[in-house]
Amino acid sequence: MADTLLSPAARTSRSARPGAPRRDLTAYAFLAPFLVLFALFVLVPAVYGLVISLHRWNSLVPVHPFIGLQNYVDLVTPGSLTFSDFWSSMRATGIFTVFSVPLLIVVPLLAAVLLNQNLKGTTFFRGVFFAPYVLGVAVIGVIWKYLLDPQAGVVNHLLGLIGLPDQTPWTVDVPWAWVSLVGVTIWWTAGLNTVILLAGLKGINADLYEAAALDGAGTMRKFWSVTLPGLRPVMIFVTTTTILASANMFGQSFLLTQGGPGTETRSAIMYIADQGLAQGNMGAASAMSYLLFAVLAVISVVNFRIQREKA
Amino acid sequence: MNRSLVTRAVAVATVVGLGVSLAGCSSGASSTSGSVSGADYTGPKVTVDFWNGWTGGAAPTIVPELVKQFNAEHDNIVVKSVPMEWADISAKMPLAIKAGKGPDVAVAHGDDVATYAAQGLLLDSGDIVDGLGYSADDFPEGLFEGNQYQGTQYGIPWSVTPLGLYVNNDVLKAAGVDTTVPTDAESYEKSLAALKAAGVQGEWVDGYVFTGTFEFQSLLWQFGGDLYDEDVTEATFNSDAGVQALQHMVDQIDKGYSPENVPQDGNFNALVKGENAYNWNGVWQTTNEALQDVDFSVAPLPQIGTEKAVWSSSTDWIFPSNKGQSADETSAAATFVKWMNDNSAGWAETGELPAANDVREDPALVEEYPNLKPFLDQLPYAHYETVAPGITAANAEITTAVGEAVLGKKTPKEALDDAAAQADKILEQNAQTYGG
Amino acid sequence: MTQLAPERLPAAVPQPPTRASTGGRRRRPWHRRVPTVALYVALAIMTLAILLPLLWIVLTSFKTDFDAISRPASPIPDPFTVDAYQTLSSGQQPIFRWFLNSLAAGALQTAIILVTASLGAYALARLEFRGKKIVFGMIVSTLLVPPVIFLIPNYLIVESLGWLDTIWAITVPGAAGAFGIFFLRQFFVGLPAEIEEAARLDGASDLRIFLQIVIPLSRPALATLAVLSFLSNWNDFLWPVYVLLSPENLTLQPGLSVLSGAYSTHFGIVMAGAVIASVPVLVLFTLAQRQIVDSVAASGVKG
Repeated sequence: MADTLLSPAARTSRSARPGAPRRDLTAYAFLAPFLVLFALFVLVPAVYGLVISLHRWNSLVPVHPFIGLQNYVDLVTPGSLTFSDFWSSMRATGIFTVFSVPLLIVVPLLAAVLLNQNLKGTTFFRGVFFAPYVLGVAVIGVIWKYLLDPQAGVVNHLLGLIGLPDQTPWTVDVPWAWVSLVGVTIWWTAGLNTVILLAGLKGINADLYEAAALDGAGTMRKFWSVTLPGLRPVMIFVTTTTILASANMFGQSFLLTQGGPGTETRSAIMYIADQGLAQGNMGAASAMSYLLFAVLAVISVVNFRIQREKA
Repeated sequence: MNRSLVTRAVAVATVVGLGVSLAGCSSGASSTSGSVSGADYTGPKVTVDFWNGWTGGAAPTIVPELVKQFNAEHDNIVVKSVPMEWADISAKMPLAIKAGKGPDVAVAHGDDVATYAAQGLLLDSGDIVDGLGYSADDFPEGLFEGNQYQGTQYGIPWSVTPLGLYVNNDVLKAAGVDTTVPTDAESYEKSLAALKAAGVQGEWVDGYVFTGTFEFQSLLWQFGGDLYDEDVTEATFNSDAGVQALQHMVDQIDKGYSPENVPQDGNFNALVKGENAYNWNGVWQTTNEALQDVDFSVAPLPQIGTEKAVWSSSTDWIFPSNKGQSADETSAAATFVKWMNDNSAGWAETGELPAANDVREDPALVEEYPNLKPFLDQLPYAHYETVAPGITAANAEITTAVGEAVLGKKTPKEALDDAAAQADKILEQNAQTYGG
Repeated sequence: MTQLAPERLPAAVPQPPTRASTGGRRRRPWHRRVPTVALYVALAIMTLAILLPLLWIVLTSFKTDFDAISRPASPIPDPFTVDAYQTLSSGQQPIFRWFLNSLAAGALQTAIILVTASLGAYALARLEFRGKKIVFGMIVSTLLVPPVIFLIPNYLIVESLGWLDTIWAITVPGAAGAFGIFFLRQFFVGLPAEIEEAARLDGASDLRIFLQIVIPLSRPALATLAVLSFLSNWNDFLWPVYVLLSPENLTLQPGLSVLSGAYSTHFGIVMAGAVIASVPVLVLFTLAQRQIVDSVAASGVKG
């Protein structure tokens, strides 16, 4: 952090004062490298994608006739080619998000509280929990596909040893495939949320706890009235990023279940990427991505409102 | 190959020049988009990118050796073999070709050729075929035509890969059942029942492409059905024959001959480990090292239905017409293909059957690779994949249906009807996209 | 995103705690209710849950394919073999090349982000200019947009640039995101402006101020951004799967997926690949663990 030789009053200065001279040329010179990239790979594609979604655009056919909103209409018309596949992929993403997000908040929260205790070696444990995240989704997917293999994997073997069923089709059939997908995701990324929540916990002033204790608050009350409120900004951040990450899930389905059985665990991203890039149905796939965006936007706004009003 | 004489060089230059101008006007979804010369390549040194899906079995050893030999014999051509999963190739190659980053030559499965041709991705290979002196009679029936689209030849058959029955003899002996390989529904049922009595689940069925789907298709044909109608405008795999076929597979589970929820490759792994006795799998598994220590034999598929039939695929040479495709590279690629065809006797080592009749029917082949004989015997009644652009998307619905039925989510009839409905929509969309 | 600020104490703070030990680590009074042993046990269980699967994978990489699928599954490879590693070194699947590609891509994208984001963030934080609100608003508004929107159009753009199957495709588009510039802008805004203003009065140009004052003061934030950018690129899977074509140009994540498909029943080989992909990263992580995790934590808290 910045050096604090300066007086507290000076530390509250913010960006350039209003009324300061405008330095357009310099500013845009500084911004130019970023803006070029941003324009080319964020702004232009955002519009381009929308344009594509308004055409029957197959990458392997040279003619792209304009069809207006037909792609979108197809997506909400039962019986069209894309309707059932798209919505079942949305359903898959929905199921995964609904089950993974709460666990990806609660488990890391408990772990963060645990790590926040005055115990020895918490830095070591913190590192261990975080470690799976640096491995990358493909390593995780490949490892767990093997460990959860119904016939060859060690998970079923161990379950059998303790008397539980040992043929559970972890990667082959639902609902166990969901358990696998959510479980593996937690194993992989819980550490990330743990670390962030832990930092949030450390940022809560200990005096608040003292004050609450003096007021006669027990463990649980302290948790609800000091810890959680103190964590609110961090929680908003973690919840938002976790929801987005789950809604954009691709690698786990792709590697663990290949979207199976059939297409039941095929996430929305898997379907869109396959339709748009492998099958060449770019128009329809673009429309799907905008529809997904709309749904996510609504959810993000709702989530933000709910969290902000909690006080 | 030998360097050509001066006069031939002139002829070649002319042909190459023609090839350049023809290749230059590749475009659109129409079928004619340049062609490949059938003569030997004699131009400047070029690198030929060769994409193939031979990532399993003995191929990863044999292909590099063949390529090395070819490169040694040709100063002006360097072939670079790029193996990747078949699924990856079909996902990436079309767009790569459009972007000019695709291969100069590739191998593809029969059901992809029409699609690629309709998408304007391939060069006409008619000249090479003439140069090689091939005609339809040189290959198993229907294979040559299967490589054409709207009358133009695009693919050159290289190998055929039918399904067969793998038998783990140790398991049969240990269970004390009759070790004669079953050949029809009755003997198969008897064997499975006997195995079950001895505590062995004889044949594991699954809903995955390389095993379950192909087993279903074989059965469908055995019961007299077909995947699509003649014009490929309607799916017919949900006919009574189809339902019977899928029901047979589901029955295996109901009768206890197969566990539920078999994972991908689970049935093959089980054969290797001695947990089941029979596995319907492709000829390519004959060279899988996992089977080395297993006392196994191969046999034609038992005839469960009313006629003999077996699923087979073909692997075919294709010449992509990349954006900015260099005619030199295509020409060199053609030379490579010719050379491979001339030197293909050793290809059987990979567990694929050479497509060319004379190579395949050479008695020496079976002598050296006795395991291939049962597969060869099936070829007269083998069914190859349907040829129509965009057919693979429709075929994917079949796999979904097989999976759903095998996992008990839908009855065979429901699963097939749903899949056929979806497939019909896909076929309709294909007709719109590719002009039928 | 809000910052955690110490000023948010409740207005009435009761008298300071009278207990002797209050310095150093913040303590949770209620932790004494739960026996410390139980907490350590909980930590141990979670640690095992993470380490044991990894250990199993390492052991599997030394098993034969038959051994890897047989039941009962034994931890000890029997026979112990390095065949899997030999197969991988033989070159059919260039796993070491993939590793290097991932390193190069991660470094390149991180460099691009650090340069473009810091320059741009400085302008947003310290300079007044026409259109500033619009530019900033545009950037912020894209923060929550799911990347899937850009998938198809960016593919077409990358293709027309001729970047398919090159390192540019997997580094440049990803560097265009708003997170980096937003993150650094927030950080710069929190820096005291006095030193910069003094330098400006002395006649220093913006570039000099930026390079000689702001950047040195921002090292923690830059380090954080570097770590996050590198990890994000390292983890990238969907995009490289579609834009990288030749086997030797793949990065580690799509490469492992290809390996897993090519050797689907040869679990020994696949696990060996996973080990090769993991060990160097885990070693690096262990060495720099504190800094890396602190960086990531800071991003969320400041975020």
